Amino acid sequence: MVFSSILFLFRFLPIFMVCYFLAPGRAKNLVIFLGSLIFYAWGEPVYVGLMLFSTVSDYIHGRLIDTKRGTLAAKGLLVSSLIINLLLLGFFKYADFLIQSINVVTGAEIPLLELGLPIGISFYTFQTMSYTIDVYRGEAKVQKNLLDFAVFVTMFPQLIAGPIVKYRQIAERLHDRPFKIQGVGYGVGRFVTGLAKKVLLANNIGLLWNTIKEMDYGGISALTAWLGIVAFALQIYFDFSGYSDMAIGLGAIMGFEFPENFNYPYISRSITEFWRRWHISLSSWFREYVYIPLGGNRKGLPRQIVNILIVWMLTGIWHGAGWNFVLWGLWFAVFLIAEKLFWGRVLSKIPGVFGYVYCLVVVLVGWVIFELESVGAVGAYLGAMLGGNGLWDRQALYLGRENLVLLIIGMLAATPLVTKAVRRMRESKERYVKVFYELSEKVVSVMLLLLAIAYVVDASYNPFLYFRF
Amino acid sequence: MQNESNQGKHNHNRGKYIPERINAALNIGLICVILMVLTVADLWKGDRLFSEAENRVLASRPELRWTSVLDGSFMEDYETYVTDQFVGRDQWISVKTAADIALQKKEINGIYLGKDEYLIERHSPEDYPEELVEQRLAQLKEFVERWDAKVMLVPTADNVLTDKLPAFAEGFDQRALLDRVAGCVGEAHMIDVYSDLLKRRDEEIYYRTDHHWTSRGAYYGYLAWADAMGEAPNTANSMDNMFMDTMETVSEDFYGTLHSKLNLKVKPDTIEYFPHTEDLSIRIVYDMEQEEASFYEEDYLKTKNQYGFFMDDNHPFIEIDTGVSNGRTLFVVKDSYANCMIPLLASHYEKVYVVDLRYMNGRLFPFMESYEPESGMDVLVLYNCVHFLEEFRYW
Repeated sequence: MVFSSILFLFRFLPIFMVCYFLAPGRAKNLVIFLGSLIFYAWGEPVYVGLMLFSTVSDYIHGRLIDTKRGTLAAKGLLVSSLIINLLLLGFFKYADFLIQSINVVTGAEIPLLELGLPIGISFYTFQTMSYTIDVYRGEAKVQKNLLDFAVFVTMFPQLIAGPIVKYRQIAERLHDRPFKIQGVGYGVGRFVTGLAKKVLLANNIGLLWNTIKEMDYGGISALTAWLGIVAFALQIYFDFSGYSDMAIGLGAIMGFEFPENFNYPYISRSITEFWRRWHISLSSWFREYVYIPLGGNRKGLPRQIVNILIVWMLTGIWHGAGWNFVLWGLWFAVFLIAEKLFWGRVLSKIPGVFGYVYCLVVVLVGWVIFELESVGAVGAYLGAMLGGNGLWDRQALYLGRENLVLLIIGMLAATPLVTKAVRRMRESKERYVKVFYELSEKVVSVMLLLLAIAYVVDASYNPFLYFRF
Repeated sequence: MQNESNQGKHNHNRGKYIPERINAALNIGLICVILMVLTVADLWKGDRLFSEAENRVLASRPELRWTSVLDGSFMEDYETYVTDQFVGRDQWISVKTAADIALQKKEINGIYLGKDEYLIERHSPEDYPEELVEQRLAQLKEFVERWDAKVMLVPTADNVLTDKLPAFAEGFDQRALLDRVAGCVGEAHMIDVYSDLLKRRDEEIYYRTDHHWTSRGAYYGYLAWADAMGEAPNTANSMDNMFMDTMETVSEDFYGTLHSKLNLKVKPDTIEYFPHTEDLSIRIVYDMEQEEASFYEEDYLKTKNQYGFFMDDNHPFIEIDTGVSNGRTLFVVKDSYANCMIPLLASHYEKVYVVDLRYMNGRLFPFMESYEPESGMDVLVLYNCVHFLEEFRYW
């Protein structure tokens, strides 16, 4: 089930919330667990078993690691937990990719398995791994209550598209969540914002990219190509961060505090900064559980470079089972390393505008690699961006005119300008500004909600981008 | 209540107008009320079978079965059902269209908002892959060679009313398609109506809210046909060059298929027809069972699908005895564009047969042979360019 659907907004959500708030204390977790199972099973009836297996397996591993603490057995159990998780992920997500690659290299004809990718598997396996690792390291207390642990793994708000919540970040709240109306109010507002980002911005701007993606790249002008990739950049940002907003909002309504996942990535002035602002929960997971254990920057420069390459190859392939995703990760690794070795210092000294342009160009070229799966298509598209087929044509002017307002709104919304203005009003000492803020906050959220419903009802176009993750 | 207002005053000293807790409750309340009211209203209202505005059957509640739950098809169907049946669906679509217009969009749901309140359907070459075009051409070639048929492919409005399209809009170039068709079946088999329509594009030759051409447009099509066939147009009765003046209006509140996709407030269309085509004493048999004495069916004017007025909407097979005794037979293979032109053709023949390939299950050639008289018959392929690509397929 996706959040931006009539089914979720007008069936699942009201019923779930009524049950949740009516349920007494400890029963709330049971409501979350059962609700999440229904939510998940709606799209993946068979793979629910897989998720429950992963839950029980890591619950038991956690308990055993705790009792054998300090012994070799604990280490063995940790390894066993990781292997099980990685095997699940590897089998369901990467088996066909591996077979295909072997077939291409060796000329063998091993048949593909063609299993459907279980939704959210990349997210929940990463969450449960963080749990067993943290328990092993003593950074998280073991969870003895199976239901509380199951809530951590299966909780529907962040189940399918993140943020990736580390167990220790919500451990306390799993057990005890004080009800605070301000928290609920914040959550409701955050949810509506996320819904609007996804439905009004991502879906509509995505239509432009969809049109251009279908074209023959050998014949599109530079303007069309740039419009297309800018549209994709905005689409994936609003789609993904909108989904994170909705997750964080739903969590807040129930009293959870999920970590933030995006922080205006497109205003970064370097790639290093971009990855501190983009999909934060994923990059911090890799930093904490891969980069630092590999030695991070503590074992000399050559080793650090190797570590960066490993982490970014993994980050790339986490996004999808395909070589283009590996390439996409390495593309960023190259710039991260170069910024460390060569121009990182320079970037921080020259006027900001150079940094913005540099970072956006690298990121946009990155999106071309990410979105177009064959080397040939990437080459043709980049060629078009460089003006190989002329700078502009009628088609580009048509598409540009048609989407101008939407793109401007999208670009503005991708900067902190609006948020800053809102904050200044909220924190203003002027009574009238405050009244105006409190009224307009309500008007705007009601309007966004109504508009989002209208676009969902009309949804000839309401795709879901995360099936590959 | 008293307490809260005290707190309000208290908070005001710290620069707060409404206390934070009340403000949060208000925010929550507003959103919850909207979601809950709509949910209850949606559960309360009954299901509709059919959407008049969209002119299509809406999804109905799927049956709950273990097998359909396990393979996920129940959930998929249920979701379509809930979305299709959502309370106030038509109004929501109007809201969405209004928002798109506010964003300065000139193309919504594949429809151009043209000048002079024209809604024009967009067709893009990507929708018609080369493979499909080749298949259609191969079948057409075989058809034309077997029956020595004439081919008339009518361009759609986006190719003709180019002056009404939004700035820089470019459609699917049907002139190029027609050149290909001509190259394939031979120029001599083609009836060109593209240039005639282009010359007449300042007249109302297409509906503003529907994807069809008007009776006026069809009349120019008919003249092009007569010219190509060497026929004198409208010889049957008092029909002379002033024939166009004999048109009569049957409806002034027609909202067509393009309007359905937007639910936008525009002027309704007018439907006209040629009453003199009824001067013949005709007998029509639809699908070998339903007998009528008119090309026109007024009942449709009371429904959403007013274009169905012509030839009783779409039928798989139509036989017409025109009452003219000249021994000539015409066999038409056609789409819905033909429906308003067939009455004009009828006066030139004694028998007219009409087939709509979308509904044809058996093999076409033996079927046609069974209706061919000893003396042979004229055969006409009459489609608009995109319907031809979408529908021209036979066994």
